[in-house]
Amino acid sequence: MTALDNLLLLALLTVLLLLAGRRLSSLGWYLTILFGAQFAGLLMMGALGYGAPPVPSSLHIGVMGQVMQWRFDALSWLFALITVGAGLTSSWYLAGDWGRHYRQRGGNLWLLQLALAVNVFSMLLLLASGDLLSLFIGWELVSWSAFLLMALNGADAMRAALRYITYAMAGAMAMMAGLGLVLHTAGSLQYADLAAAVPTLSSPQLWGLILLFGMGFGVKMGLLPLHLWQARAYSETPGPGASFLGAVSTRMGLWGLILVLVQLVGLVPIADLAIPYTFLDARELLMWVAALTIILPTYTALRQNDARMLLAWHGIGQGGYMLLGVLMGDAMGSAGGLMHAFNYATYQAPLFMAVYAVRYRTGTSDLNRLGGLVTRMPLSFLVMLVGIIGLAGLPPMNGFVSKWLIYRGLINDGQPLLFIAAVVGTFGTILSVYKLIHNTFLGQLRLEHVEVREAPWSMTVPMLLLSAVVFVTGYLPGLVLDWVAAAQQAVGLPVLVHTLGGVESPLGSLDMIWVSSLMFAGFGIGALLFYAGGNRSKAVHQLDNYAGGHFLSADVRYQYSDHFYAGLMRHIGPLYRNSFQWLEGALGTTVETLGAAMRAFYRQHHPAIYLLAVTTAGLIWVIL
Amino acid sequence: MSQIALTIALPFLAAFLLPVIGRVYEALARVLGPLVLLYCLWLVLQLWGTGDGHPVALAMGGFRPPMGITLYVDRLALLFTLLVSLMTLLLWPWQRAADSRECALTLLLAGSASGLALSGDLFNIYVFYELVSVASFGLVAVHRSGAAFVATLRYLVISGFGTVLALTGIALVYSQTGTLNLAQLAQLAPDLLAGPVGLAGFLFMLLGFGVKGELFPVNTWVPEVYATAPARASALLAGLVSKLSLLVVLRLLVLLYQQEQALQLLLLLGVLGVISGELAAWRARDLKRMLAFSSIGQLGAMFIAFSIPGNAGLLAGLALALHHLLVKPALFLLAAGWPGAVERLRGLARGGPLAAGLFVLLALSLIGVPPLPGFWAKMLLVVGLAGQESGYLLALAVVLGAAVLEASYLFRVVAQLYHRDEEAARPRPYLLDLGSAALAGAVLLSAVPFISPLGDWLAGTAAQAGDREGYIITVFPAAGRPLYSAAGGGKPALAAAGPLPEPKP
Repeated sequence: MTALDNLLLLALLTVLLLLAGRRLSSLGWYLTILFGAQFAGLLMMGALGYGAPPVPSSLHIGVMGQVMQWRFDALSWLFALITVGAGLTSSWYLAGDWGRHYRQRGGNLWLLQLALAVNVFSMLLLLASGDLLSLFIGWELVSWSAFLLMALNGADAMRAALRYITYAMAGAMAMMAGLGLVLHTAGSLQYADLAAAVPTLSSPQLWGLILLFGMGFGVKMGLLPLHLWQARAYSETPGPGASFLGAVSTRMGLWGLILVLVQLVGLVPIADLAIPYTFLDARELLMWVAALTIILPTYTALRQNDARMLLAWHGIGQGGYMLLGVLMGDAMGSAGGLMHAFNYATYQAPLFMAVYAVRYRTGTSDLNRLGGLVTRMPLSFLVMLVGIIGLAGLPPMNGFVSKWLIYRGLINDGQPLLFIAAVVGTFGTILSVYKLIHNTFLGQLRLEHVEVREAPWSMTVPMLLLSAVVFVTGYLPGLVLDWVAAAQQAVGLPVLVHTLGGVESPLGSLDMIWVSSLMFAGFGIGALLFYAGGNRSKAVHQLDNYAGGHFLSADVRYQYSDHFYAGLMRHIGPLYRNSFQWLEGALGTTVETLGAAMRAFYRQHHPAIYLLAVTTAGLIWVIL
Repeated sequence: MSQIALTIALPFLAAFLLPVIGRVYEALARVLGPLVLLYCLWLVLQLWGTGDGHPVALAMGGFRPPMGITLYVDRLALLFTLLVSLMTLLLWPWQRAADSRECALTLLLAGSASGLALSGDLFNIYVFYELVSVASFGLVAVHRSGAAFVATLRYLVISGFGTVLALTGIALVYSQTGTLNLAQLAQLAPDLLAGPVGLAGFLFMLLGFGVKGELFPVNTWVPEVYATAPARASALLAGLVSKLSLLVVLRLLVLLYQQEQALQLLLLLGVLGVISGELAAWRARDLKRMLAFSSIGQLGAMFIAFSIPGNAGLLAGLALALHHLLVKPALFLLAAGWPGAVERLRGLARGGPLAAGLFVLLALSLIGVPPLPGFWAKMLLVVGLAGQESGYLLALAVVLGAAVLEASYLFRVVAQLYHRDEEAARPRPYLLDLGSAALAGAVLLSAVPFISPLGDWLAGTAAQAGDREGYIITVFPAAGRPLYSAAGGGKPALAAAGPLPEPKP
């Protein structure tokens, strides 16, 4: 029994316990404890085998002349950490009041918990896969368990989940064709054999490999143009499920792309593939896809009026940063991309949780029906504040570090256009997260929300915990960069030289301890001036307002929320063309029309005459 | 080994006696059919246990091949004989057991299907194929509704057309070679059937025998017949009979037509079948028609598999066929309890959680989600196609695209079943149907841990079925030696079987 066996068995045990323990009263807490045990097992594995060769599993299955095996390397470990961490905090969040509330409103809490456990197990199995066959099986399990989680919440959720599964199947089938290609060219589905066969591949074969696997993993990541399913599906998932999926599900695609494109194929052969009649190569093409994935979904997020949709659209955009970073292939950029996957999970999960905490208390996440909740739910506000600073990539939170690394990498790589694209994306992020926190917590309190209280502790504690992680790993990024560097080494990328506070390298240095300390010193001086210079503030009631010399009674609406960035939209509004929606619709209509034609074929009235014609045609074919 | 002929003879005998017995002892008539089938099942299992897996040729009536009636028993034929007895037993029309005509027709189907699986010459194949047709005409019209009669009439017309084509094809082959014995044909084929006349023979036989195999374009009877026939008849046709038609095509391909053009023709028709079937299924608005159309698509994938040169294609096709044979009948049985438009299935999972759960399981396997058996079958097909040239790569894209459509429409049904907003109480599947479907689901699940040995066994079977030389040598052992059965250890294989109620060529 290796450490990996133990971990996988524990995850399987969690699923089995959930299956058996439907009637247990505090099942949510057991689930949380079991996730905690998995987390501990993972940490122990890291302590045991860190930087060392991969941790193998003793399980081997031979089937169809292929040997399936499982192992964990530092890359798998990093993503498993995110997975189990997200599972742990999400199940914690739902274990207490949220779960009770969900059940009272007719939700099937047991199924939700089971789906969480199944998702974590299948993701661990995927991350542990040691050859392309086990990879594909793990991939399908992950896809379908995500479907289970998405489909739980009634008709709208089911519709979104069906859309997802159509996309996911398209991706999976592309990957299956990729498996066929690998088997045909490399003779086996082992990682080592594929890596060895890459130099012998012709360039159409290599293109096929990149496109098929890129499509397979890209669907999950929501890479353009395969992204349309994601936002709706995630936001219709019940609360903790949404925070889990948002934090980690999409990252499985990133993991797969890193594994296949970076580790097995290698970035050099990909960069050698030139696209005819352009000055791009395959790597730059993928980088531009990543850049567009940053920009377009981020500006779509800007237009959302539901907090869940806004966050889910950002999830797609942030994935673009990670891929962009990893594809740079240098120490700094790829470290940024890998670290961003971790960082993003640590703030996306609590952001979803905060939105769902507000929903739990007020019943809505419509950004036009909220406002002024900061005094009513201060902890949730704090969580959201920390989260959006991270999401926007501003100091002192961890999102700044990873984005800084990516920017720096782009500059070092000599990619000014991509750099501008990344900055444009960040600009959109800042605008839209400000909209999120303003419309939820700032501004005018609605009359119907005067009685709203802070969310219960069972929900706020996991949120606060994750916020603390966002801050601490922003202050001391070296903690995460250790893991990132090990993952870089496992993948075969150049390793980032780092310190506890950040990076020290001739190509660029960053010390977050200094940056953060300076920031807080500035705040401290300001506070000192404020309090020493005679505190002139006076507390008034939140509803006690006036404007233009008139008192505003609480029933007058002056909160500016709808059509939030009207001025900006006047300029960029015409650029929203919904081309991808149109494309998807056109594809659907085409299938529909062809389907109708085929059905008409099977309903024709004179089969005999028609068959005669077919036979004659066949005969002509034979004779010719 | 010669008792295997009883699996043909006994059901025939019972089928003809049943109406007479039914007038005297009604109780006996009710159990006679199942008893006969059980006996056949036991017989095949026994032969399976005693045989050593080598193919055996039996000459009925004491005439040596190429004269007389040859039965060819290899692992594949034995497997199909077993499946015939098993499936007809499971899909026996218990609900209308008092209707001796329906029972007799089912027995006729069983006997002729066994004959089709075992026959070693073209003419017998043709005769048994006709008998299967006759039996199925009666079975699908048993509801006697107007729609059923219209559907059956269409089926009759297309089948009749297919018969003419098949007979023409056989005549062409005979005119070229002067024999209909498959082994002898296999010897002569490379020289005499390579030309356009031989190929025309293949085209005619393919279209003729393809009618039951839902081959594009001779499959326009499928949706209406499956939508109006009793579920058990649909299940038999879609599950069993279509696979026997595949078996015939397999024998033709392996023994007579190992030429590129024949494979290309099959590939083309298979691809068209997948495209037309899956697209029409995507558009279908009621469950039975959806299943019927998707059945066309899946059989198309099997034809594509058979069109791959070499044993990899045979293996993939057989795996797909066996998987489909397990899953599709079960789905038809489940659909029997859920009539009408898909939109009317709302919330049925509450009333029948087992049926809905089974539907999900079977659908997942049909789509090919690992680690269910359907995935491995599809994987074999993908592996087989990926190693080939351009046309096959196109077929690969079509097959994979079809899987996306399949997932989309099958889970549209699942979404309706698990719809939460409404509570609906509607007829659940008949308990026996549900039980049979549950059995299929259980078999499917229990096959998962044994995929590797099952795959090896199937690969051996496919290799044996694809061994043209082996077929010739088995039927015509080296000159000078008498024709002995390979299994019986010196027991003459020329044992005369009982009188067979079948016409001699």
